[in-house]
Amino acid sequence: MKKLLLIPALAATASVAGASIPINGFIESKCVIQSDTAGMFGNPTVDKLSTKSADGGVMPIVRYDIVTASKYKAVITTPTDFSNSPTLSDSVDWTSTTVAGQMSDSEMSVFNTDKVIYNNGHTTEFDLVKAGSVWFNVTSEAEYGYGKAFPSGNYTALIVAECIAK
Amino acid sequence: MRFILLFLLLAGGYANAHQFTPTYPKLEMSHMVGVFKAEMVLFNTREDIRYYGLSVFDKDWKSVRFAAESKVVPMDYQERKYITIYISSKEVDKAKYICSKSKILLTVKEPSIVSSRICSKLK
Repeated sequence: MKKLLLIPALAATASVAGASIPINGFIESKCVIQSDTAGMFGNPTVDKLSTKSADGGVMPIVRYDIVTASKYKAVITTPTDFSNSPTLSDSVDWTSTTVAGQMSDSEMSVFNTDKVIYNNGHTTEFDLVKAGSVWFNVTSEAEYGYGKAFPSGNYTALIVAECIAK
Repeated sequence: MRFILLFLLLAGGYANAHQFTPTYPKLEMSHMVGVFKAEMVLFNTREDIRYYGLSVFDKDWKSVRFAAESKVVPMDYQERKYITIYISSKEVDKAKYICSKSKILLTVKEPSIVSSRICSKLK
């Protein structure tokens, strides 16, 4: 009998406790850099290595996730040297482009219109004035000497993707 | 709606990411006299990265002396580490940025590699 009387009392207590459990959330300002697609050099001619798909390469893609607008700038620097390669006896001429491609908000197109390029075209700075996700497409081309053939071997080049708090 | 989508996107986890927070760390007195500290959080979900380098810079991007348990932090995949940066009172006015940068091992032979660096700003 006593047990039966306790059941409604316990049920009432449980419902009160269930209703008072808070769910808290906090989103802090942050910038997350993701290496989305590792690039690959194509070798369309003997003197050229290129990440362009037309040249048989794979374009590296770096994704930035921005939680709060106008807190960071993105700085992407393309290679001006190989970090790993066979011995090269002649100079290598590097050209590159960095553009915001896919974006979670169409208003992020302002990243491209307001971008600043320096360091002989190898560094591109984007003011991250909109929150969301953006994928930066990077192309890089290396031409060896004057029509000289690249020696066979492994070639590695480094892209530096930075997020700097403003 | 846009906010919810962004939240789901960000809360959904990262496949290959580098994260360094807070954006604006605060320097506070440490347990040592004349030494300030900033608490940072480093999160690695880059499978190709096992080490991150720490550095402190002034407003002109010149290095500022600092101390940490280790200036090169070994990180496992999907590991989060709490890092304390110590700066002496002599250097504290100069310090402007605290950065973490992924370190790429020489043994990695991928044709193109992304090195990521995130810098927080001391205000």
